[in-house]
Amino acid sequence: MQLADKSIDQTCAHVASKKPACSRPTPGATTGGCAFEGAQIALFPYADAAHLVHGPLTCLGASWETRETKTSVEGRDFTQMGFTTGMELNDVIFGGEPRLAKAIAYIVEAYAPEAVFVYTTCVSALVGDDVNATCKEAALTHGIPVVPVHAPGFVGSKNLGSRLGAMDVLKNLIGTKEPQFSTPYDINLIGEYNVTGDMWQYTALLEELGIRVLSTLSGDGRVAKIRTAHRAKLNVIVCAKSLNAVCERMEKEYGIPYISVSFYGKRDTSDALLQIAHALGDEALMERTKALVAREEALVEAKLLPFKTKLTGKKAVLNTGGNKSWSIASALQDLGVEVVGTSVRKATEEDKEKARKYLGENGVLMENPGAEQANLIKERGAHLLLAGGRSLYTAIKQRVAFVDVNQEKKVSYGAYNGLVNLAHDVIKAIENPVFDVVGRRAPWEQ
Amino acid sequence: MGAIMQTKPLHVNPLKLSQPMGATLAFLGVDGCMPLMHGAQGCASFTKVFFTRHFQDPIAIQTTAVTDITAVLDGGAKGIAEAVENITKKVNPALIGLFTTGLTETKGDDIKGAASGLSLPVVYVNTPDYEGALESGWALSVSAMITQLTTPTAQIQKGKVALLPHVGMSALELERLKECIASFGLSVVALPDISLSLDGHLGEKQTALSSGGTTVEEIKELGTCEAVITVGASMEGCAKALRAKNPAITPLHVSHLGGLVATDSFIAMLMSLSGNAPTPTLKRWRARLQDALLDTHEMVGGKNVALIGEPDEIVGYGALLQEAGAKLACVIGATSSTNLESLGGVVGDFEDLEHRMEGIDVVIGNFHAKAIAKRFGVPLVVRGFPSWGTVGGALNHSVLYEGGAQSLFRVANVCEKDH
Ligand code: SF4
Repeated sequence: MQLADKSIDQTCAHVASKKPACSRPTPGATTGGCAFEGAQIALFPYADAAHLVHGPLTCLGASWETRETKTSVEGRDFTQMGFTTGMELNDVIFGGEPRLAKAIAYIVEAYAPEAVFVYTTCVSALVGDDVNATCKEAALTHGIPVVPVHAPGFVGSKNLGSRLGAMDVLKNLIGTKEPQFSTPYDINLIGEYNVTGDMWQYTALLEELGIRVLSTLSGDGRVAKIRTAHRAKLNVIVCAKSLNAVCERMEKEYGIPYISVSFYGKRDTSDALLQIAHALGDEALMERTKALVAREEALVEAKLLPFKTKLTGKKAVLNTGGNKSWSIASALQDLGVEVVGTSVRKATEEDKEKARKYLGENGVLMENPGAEQANLIKERGAHLLLAGGRSLYTAIKQRVAFVDVNQEKKVSYGAYNGLVNLAHDVIKAIENPVFDVVGRRAPWEQ
Repeated sequence: MGAIMQTKPLHVNPLKLSQPMGATLAFLGVDGCMPLMHGAQGCASFTKVFFTRHFQDPIAIQTTAVTDITAVLDGGAKGIAEAVENITKKVNPALIGLFTTGLTETKGDDIKGAASGLSLPVVYVNTPDYEGALESGWALSVSAMITQLTTPTAQIQKGKVALLPHVGMSALELERLKECIASFGLSVVALPDISLSLDGHLGEKQTALSSGGTTVEEIKELGTCEAVITVGASMEGCAKALRAKNPAITPLHVSHLGGLVATDSFIAMLMSLSGNAPTPTLKRWRARLQDALLDTHEMVGGKNVALIGEPDEIVGYGALLQEAGAKLACVIGATSSTNLESLGGVVGDFEDLEHRMEGIDVVIGNFHAKAIAKRFGVPLVVRGFPSWGTVGGALNHSVLYEGGAQSLFRVANVCEKDH
């Protein structure tokens, strides 16, 4: 059986809080995705590689074309395509390797990708298909990298899957090619998937500073570039704790130090740029960065001014997961909105600390937002609820504006310019009469 | 001609959806039900997100969250019992709909045994995702509900009709169909009934359980129906399950309800079953459909249509458009079916559609057809699962006289607007 590499540290940030390892979900009380989904999220943004899901239809049939991970790849954008072997009964009984080999050959012939990623799933892992051997042979036959990704759903959570997927890239791709040239300012962006183009909100600034993004894992990524990632001077983890382990491994193997940053909101973006400059350890760069940050902050402040006059004094309740609990809170505060409460359900200890730091003494950290948020809105006289779709009814009942922050978003809230987008959306919600109208009682209920 | 099976070793831009997803929907059409997917947690999570975005409504579903430890070691009973215990800590379901996935089927878990150890009402059904598709997952679940819940009887209640719709009917279509049957003085119980649970209303009860739908009590008493009407080729077998409870029930089957001809024979069926005449409203809608066919025949007539989706869902649409003179130039179904054969369609995926786009004037298919329609500069009517980014899917209506008329206008306007 080709299961996940058990030597990989299976703990995650949750463990530091002395909770049991997060890879054991509770039957009947869970809504999270599986490890395969995590691997998919981490690696699908390589738009010049074909992503072949080896399993029956559920895994991919329900999930392709769900994420807007933008890419600058010209020609076929494989992130908007779905490839699956679609294993059937015969493959379960006799093994799915022949089908897999044929599927890889079909893809190479019809679409000529730079590489093929092959994802195992619950069924292909359980029937014991030797995906490693099939991939190895296919790589030899077709002359391109064919990377097996071992993160079948049942090994655990999305976070774990992201890490396993990244580890497989580390094992199979990183270090397999040399860059054409190197600079002292080469960095890798790790855990930034460029959803709605988030990454592009700040890569131009990095470029302006003379910092080169050597490769990414994996937003707007290229197979050829990630193969050279071992020559970077610094790894920058963007908002994705689950990939810490990958950076640790790269530090050990290649001596690349890493830092963790967030590009949400004005303060965090500035902070991120300064941290990167600092870590690269160059005085002149630091000075340039300070100047750029000052300029950008002034620019965005000017753009935000009309919004801020409308938003100052408004109060918001935030019900979202993970690092969003503080990153969006911080962005909202940058807009002049007072965040009176945020959800810390499922958040790591570190996320909770950050949320506390941003919200201050009086901010409420909701452990059970479903039950708490309505009261909080009432007590604090909040004007706005930002949450996932299922909280819509709470907002309508309280007759406050609602912004859906969990649906697959369409515009980027990243970095300085994304803050302007967020301001637009918040104002649009606050000024829309719909929430008040829908909240009215029917004539027969009066 | 028989439907051609896919010969490729893979799906490229898949159309097919899995059996567990069909089972999920079927159980969501039962009031107070918690669909419980027996597998690793990802399948349920994907399914939840998929249908939440499609219906733009909260979707109740839970998972037994099998992990690598339990996956290899036990027979599943423990995880199932634990899941049910955790569910009932928070809510009190009228029914648990327990169904398998590829993982738990490959392991060979005994869900029947696990279900019998539970105190709550449970319906179990085997729905591996390496077999069948959306339609069969739905149909198997309906059969399982009847087999495991309905009380055997020899009594017949005159004028009571069981309606077993296929998975592709919208909430409004099902509602209109029930009204149509009721307008003949018949009483009708639909199983499942998503016209009450997934119709896009703003539910006060959030996501915990399905709200609205067929009640467990109604399913228990389904054996007393005078007749059972199945709609769609996938549902034909379900009538057998009901007649096993009471052989006196008359089976009535229609493969679809699209267009004038099919609706006419359906109405004739209801007339002879009830002995009553159609209402004036129904007659008026027939006249309107006649008129619509004439009004749209120039815009729709002669058009080369590409139709892609679940066989039972697209067959009625195809029939309707053909009545207005459209040519079904390319028909692709997610799974094999006699309904697909009747259209001369093939089983395939979106890559197959892409290869057959030459000369197509309008595409009718789900959200994933958008990219292709755009690339080829052809108008698109979004139908089927999923319809992300398109609102009002629950209130789409293309069956019977009224839906036929509305639908023809929609297609004609789309063709006109873009060309
Ligand atoms: S849990 Fe397993 S079968 Fe389900 S989606 Fe994840 S990998 Fe696929």
